[in-house]
Amino acid sequence: MSAVAVPVKKNYLTALREAIDEEMGRNNDLLCLGEDIGILGGAFGVTEGLQAKYGAHRVMDMPISEGAIIGTSVGAALNGKTVMAEMQFIDFISCGFDQIVNTLATYHYRTAGEVSMPIVVRGPAGAYSGGALYHSQMNEAWFCNAPGLKVVCPSTPADAKGLLKAALRDPNPVIFYEIKELYRKKQIEEEIPENHIVPLGKAVIRRPGKDVTLVSYGQTVYHCVAAADALAEQGISAEVIDLRSLVPLDEETVFLSLGKTNRVVVVNEAPMTCGFAGELLARISEKAFHLLDAPPQRVTRLDTPVPWAKPMELYVLPSVEKIVAAAMRTVRF
Amino acid sequence: MASRTVSATAEKSSDQTDQRAGEEANLPHRSLTQADRLEIFRQLYLARYFDVRLIKEKKRGRLTGTLYSSHNQEAILVGALFGLRPSDWISPVHRDMPAFFLKDAKAGWRNPDRMGMSLEEVCAQVWCKVTSPGRARDNWSHIGSRERRIVHSTSMLAGTIPVAAGVVLADRLNGGDAVCVTFNGEGSTAQGIFHEAINFAAVHKLPVVTIIENNQWAYGTPVSMEVPTPDVADRARGYGIPGYVADGQDVFDVYDKVMQAVAHARSGAGPSIVECKTFRAYGHGDHDDDRANKYRSPEEIEHGRARDPIAVCRRKLIEFGDLTGDTATSYPAEGKPSSQAMNDDFPPDVVEYMDEAIQFALHAAVPDAEEGGRWVFHEPGGHR
Repeated sequence: MSAVAVPVKKNYLTALREAIDEEMGRNNDLLCLGEDIGILGGAFGVTEGLQAKYGAHRVMDMPISEGAIIGTSVGAALNGKTVMAEMQFIDFISCGFDQIVNTLATYHYRTAGEVSMPIVVRGPAGAYSGGALYHSQMNEAWFCNAPGLKVVCPSTPADAKGLLKAALRDPNPVIFYEIKELYRKKQIEEEIPENHIVPLGKAVIRRPGKDVTLVSYGQTVYHCVAAADALAEQGISAEVIDLRSLVPLDEETVFLSLGKTNRVVVVNEAPMTCGFAGELLARISEKAFHLLDAPPQRVTRLDTPVPWAKPMELYVLPSVEKIVAAAMRTVRF
Repeated sequence: MASRTVSATAEKSSDQTDQRAGEEANLPHRSLTQADRLEIFRQLYLARYFDVRLIKEKKRGRLTGTLYSSHNQEAILVGALFGLRPSDWISPVHRDMPAFFLKDAKAGWRNPDRMGMSLEEVCAQVWCKVTSPGRARDNWSHIGSRERRIVHSTSMLAGTIPVAAGVVLADRLNGGDAVCVTFNGEGSTAQGIFHEAINFAAVHKLPVVTIIENNQWAYGTPVSMEVPTPDVADRARGYGIPGYVADGQDVFDVYDKVMQAVAHARSGAGPSIVECKTFRAYGHGDHDDDRANKYRSPEEIEHGRARDPIAVCRRKLIEFGDLTGDTATSYPAEGKPSSQAMNDDFPPDVVEYMDEAIQFALHAAVPDAEEGGRWVFHEPGGHR
């Protein structure tokens, strides 16, 4: 009996689960530690079924102790394990901050390469979901500022799977930002090949264009694509770059794009001051100033927390309109 | 808190005397051989001389940097480490510098295969040389070794207890029966991560033995301002785990309590806390020596230094009959400040071992400047 494989489209969350499942299958030393990840299968269900499949000794329900989750992961890695550590919300990663920046991030450095830390700290991030102050954060800049950590943020199901698999095979610690608003979003479901790997540190062009470059990652990539549509109606061709990895950063793709467009808007959800958008603009100014025809722009969250009530939430966050306006400023300069 | 002795029961009924004598006979240290006891005594000297010599080297201008003295606390390190197996892990902090070279030292100080560091490596670290286990990338006690099962320490107090838990969790999954002994000060028990780590280890009955060196002072703050209970070991109750209290001046009492805790851990019964009562003889670091004589009263300091662990051990060895005649009074290092003790106060082999290590360190190279930019991330093929 022969069966014709029917292409199955998968959502972002399923893609993540498949990545962990496949990697646990091929790496018996891979452990998962997190709050409610075993019996419950995770607050969002990313690890659903994995404890039943691999056992409670490999998918461990941890006490509400982010510091101990990270510290235990470090010890397990010191003794030969690979660890996926889930933060129930990426907002709570601050409770494990010291263990991440002082113990985990520095381990390889302070042992002069003796010890590697194959640990992925992942969790749901991002706003636009009414999550308010403590379920909306994008705090990636904290970790981009801690040498020794890789920082990744996928925006599509295929990238979610491919980047997570690559992260789980990386000898370095990776902070992995998942966009919870995308977890079950129907419109972005896509077919994903088995064993799909996306290397860390490679950006991708989501929409080619020639007049202005919109650079983003995570959820705001979709705002940029919508902005590109709106700009196209006004005869402006915008190129959209999805960075996917912040550390390591694919500067080349950005500079190549600037070589065509000579204008750039960087968009992200985090607050403006000392955020990643500022870092990228600094690098562009230092290394690609000669390519610019207009002052580079950034569209970020205001320097505020993320408020709860919808009008306030949208007010402080990047929007398609804000991105279009910033792009217009570069075009009309 | 002090070890029981048979003679202390003289006024009790003969039944009680028999019972106590029986308990005493069952204490782990009673199974040590004479050679073991003499090696323990020798290790106390080595730990003390390390401190004495570094102070001298600094005064002589051959050494820079802050020294965190373990003077008066050596019995905790020697007593806790002596009974461990080579396969066990340890996790020392800043005041435990001798722990790095005392681990598995009974396998032979100069034995290159022992599961501890050589004194040469530790001195190379003190002198900030490229031959240090961490290639001089972080200072003082911030070294370790995966191969020799020593967790790399940081300045984050209690921050390595969860790492210790993770190490033994992995060991168990691999079918091992290693225990991890972590060393911490009483001040570190006020850290949130202390609670998180011990709580997690207790839930999963992980073989982590947490030694609290209660030296009464966390830098400039007395224990009464750090811990609300009479004993730091009382914290164990909240986790449903044993909390032992040892006389930190008595190497054999430390050995007994730690061996009980280790046996408990290795049997699968879970973690425990071993509080070792002691006194920080000098400043937090040598930069603090003068101030530590002001924020602490002369009476407190005199009382705290009164029971030198070398003297306490010497008395016991005389009781055991291990030291007799001239050997009972030779090498009188006890009671002398590190700045005043002389080489003649120590056994010659101890001085010689340290001499060799210092020569090794002095002649080693400093790291190339460019190494400062290396190993932030894994370098393919670039491992040392």
